[in-house]
Amino acid sequence: MVGIRNTWANRVSERGMLYLFLLPTFVLLLFLVIFPLIWSLYLSFCQYSANAANPPIFVGIRNFSFIFQQKEIWDRFAVTGKFVAMAVVVEFFLGFFIAMLLNREFYGKGVLTTLFILPMMFSPAVIGKFFRFMMDTNWGIINYILGKLFGIPKIAWTTSYEYALPSIVVADVWIWTPFIVLLSLAGLSSVPKYLYEAADVDRASGWFKFRYITLPYVAPILLLAVLFRTMDAFRFFDLVYVITEGGPGYSTQIIPFYIYKLAFSYWHTGQSCALAYVLLIIIIALSNIYITYLNRLRRT
Amino acid sequence: MKRMSWVLLVCLVILLWGGIASAEEVTLTITWAAWAPMDTLIALAEDFTAKTGIKVKGDPVPWPQYHDKVFTEFASGKTSFDIVLPDSQWLGEAVVGGHLVDITEWFNEKVKKEDFYETFITSFCEYPDGSGKYYGIPALGDFFGMCYRTDLFNDPEEKKAFQEKYGYELKVPETWSQLRDIAQFFTRPEKNLYGVALWQAPIPTAGLTDEFLACFWSFGAELWDPGSKKVKGYLNSEAGKAAARYWVDLYQYCPPGSANYSMDEANTAMQQGLVAMMGTYLAFYPGLVDPSFSAYWDKIDFFATPAEKNWYVQLGGQGLSISAYTPYKKEALMFLEWWLSPETQWKWAQAGMFSCMKSIVEDDQYLEYAPVNKVARVSYPHLKDYWEIPQYNEMGTVMAEILNASILGKYTPDEAMDLIAEKHEEILERAGYYK
Repeated sequence: MVGIRNTWANRVSERGMLYLFLLPTFVLLLFLVIFPLIWSLYLSFCQYSANAANPPIFVGIRNFSFIFQQKEIWDRFAVTGKFVAMAVVVEFFLGFFIAMLLNREFYGKGVLTTLFILPMMFSPAVIGKFFRFMMDTNWGIINYILGKLFGIPKIAWTTSYEYALPSIVVADVWIWTPFIVLLSLAGLSSVPKYLYEAADVDRASGWFKFRYITLPYVAPILLLAVLFRTMDAFRFFDLVYVITEGGPGYSTQIIPFYIYKLAFSYWHTGQSCALAYVLLIIIIALSNIYITYLNRLRRT
Repeated sequence: MKRMSWVLLVCLVILLWGGIASAEEVTLTITWAAWAPMDTLIALAEDFTAKTGIKVKGDPVPWPQYHDKVFTEFASGKTSFDIVLPDSQWLGEAVVGGHLVDITEWFNEKVKKEDFYETFITSFCEYPDGSGKYYGIPALGDFFGMCYRTDLFNDPEEKKAFQEKYGYELKVPETWSQLRDIAQFFTRPEKNLYGVALWQAPIPTAGLTDEFLACFWSFGAELWDPGSKKVKGYLNSEAGKAAARYWVDLYQYCPPGSANYSMDEANTAMQQGLVAMMGTYLAFYPGLVDPSFSAYWDKIDFFATPAEKNWYVQLGGQGLSISAYTPYKKEALMFLEWWLSPETQWKWAQAGMFSCMKSIVEDDQYLEYAPVNKVARVSYPHLKDYWEIPQYNEMGTVMAEILNASILGKYTPDEAMDLIAEKHEEILERAGYYK
């Protein structure tokens, strides 16, 4: 009789093996996500500068009360809200419109779809740099074309109060509309063809088909797309950093950019953690509203 | 057992080999901004390597990211560099954080303070001022200066027209008021020509604050009371507000959309002939007189930032300091000693870089090494630096953002200065300066 070798692997139970395989992932999660999350939560209640030699001093809710008392921070919340609303709304309608156009058979559809989703593949920082050059008041191609073709005088796209935020929105729309296009296309392709055929038999109008067939089918996935974009837009940083650096004044300093400044320019680590948590709570609250609505849509 | 012995032997050999290799090969890493002085320093350091066998390599960082990159590494308690060239205003921030080696004893033994201009010693080396504690040695004596288009300024037609309009000769401005006249004179949007390009970006380093302060001080204003650190009544004094009114007014003669101008944008405006004058730290001069970058390389000359009631020039430049986290303190000090030698200092000057050494700057030969050196010589006695406390970045940002908003019409200059003074006192209050 051949005995089973008494190796350590044979001594470990099946459940033990399960935990063993989970361990590396858990350790990674613990050190890369859970610990920083808990530590930053603690720091949000401390007076602490990561740049100084002093340890954190617990100050209760002082950082949070400081944040809510600062008019400038409320201004930045307003700018963030404005940016998110403008970007997400434009991306949603434009993305869905493009997806509707692409959702039919025509010659070169594959190439065109690939071209439409290309912007999403580039680094936002690089795209930001390109937009900064294109929108430059004196050297930019946009002002050059407007001047040559229409005689429009130079417009300060990135350095005036009227145009700076819309300019960033334009760059964001260019990058992220393809994301909505992709998800919308996925939703549109899931609509059963026989429903349209039945509607054709009943001589239903285009609007009727869109309103009562297409929209109910794609609504959940569209809402999901909007949810993702909203969450992402709230964390948006790179385009502002590259295109306007927060200016003019601080008029395009959205909250993530300000968190960066608090954390790494002023080294107010405690305050930056507190503000990051406020932003996190806002994102979670907004996401919950979306998810509740999404569930209601699914039920109906 | 036999296998275990082999494993141990191999480990021992690897350890010994590694130890020998690391003892033989010390490489000092220097971090600085990615610009011509960095390239020159690394090229010069070959002499140091030849003398000591210690290799030197550079870790250049683009200017806008330089501060944040260095201090993020400091905050981690481990740096990829051994030697750093911090801006003068960073010194307090770095020293308070414990990130630089205190070299006081070595400094007192090796450095003759009288060999250097005093501002460079107090701003690049000593913290706090007058404490006798040293954390660096002078390296690059940079300062804010200006340049102009010689083809425009020397054109007889232009001279005649200017004389008729303003009643005095067109030449390099000696006062900020004259500079405004000249900027107004050359502003010709129909010819795509504007008076002056200035750093107006709402950022603390390489932005509006750097350039505005030379004007602000020259108008007779002060940032604060150096003793009590009170800001109200100093920064927003009548002189301070007059400087702000001047600055906001001057913006109409700057290129449109130049409210985000920093070093690159201002340099490009001058290189492409968009402006008649431009302000910058003059260590950036090589790009202006290089035919591969500048369309007007042979038509550019330099002058000091003007006077008004007083004459002050904004200090730039950096000292050489040692990271507190380097394992090579001894070698880094050897590098500093090599740097201070007159031979190295002369080579540095001959390469067209600003020297901090009096004997070199005052030698007429120095004027031949770079077109900006004549400006350095007249500017050095008027150098002044802003806040050298850890809160400088926040204070500089507040000033840059609010004044930037003011040139774009959000605040009147008077409102802007009152607001800056209020915000500065809030920052200093929170930092505990008024206890």
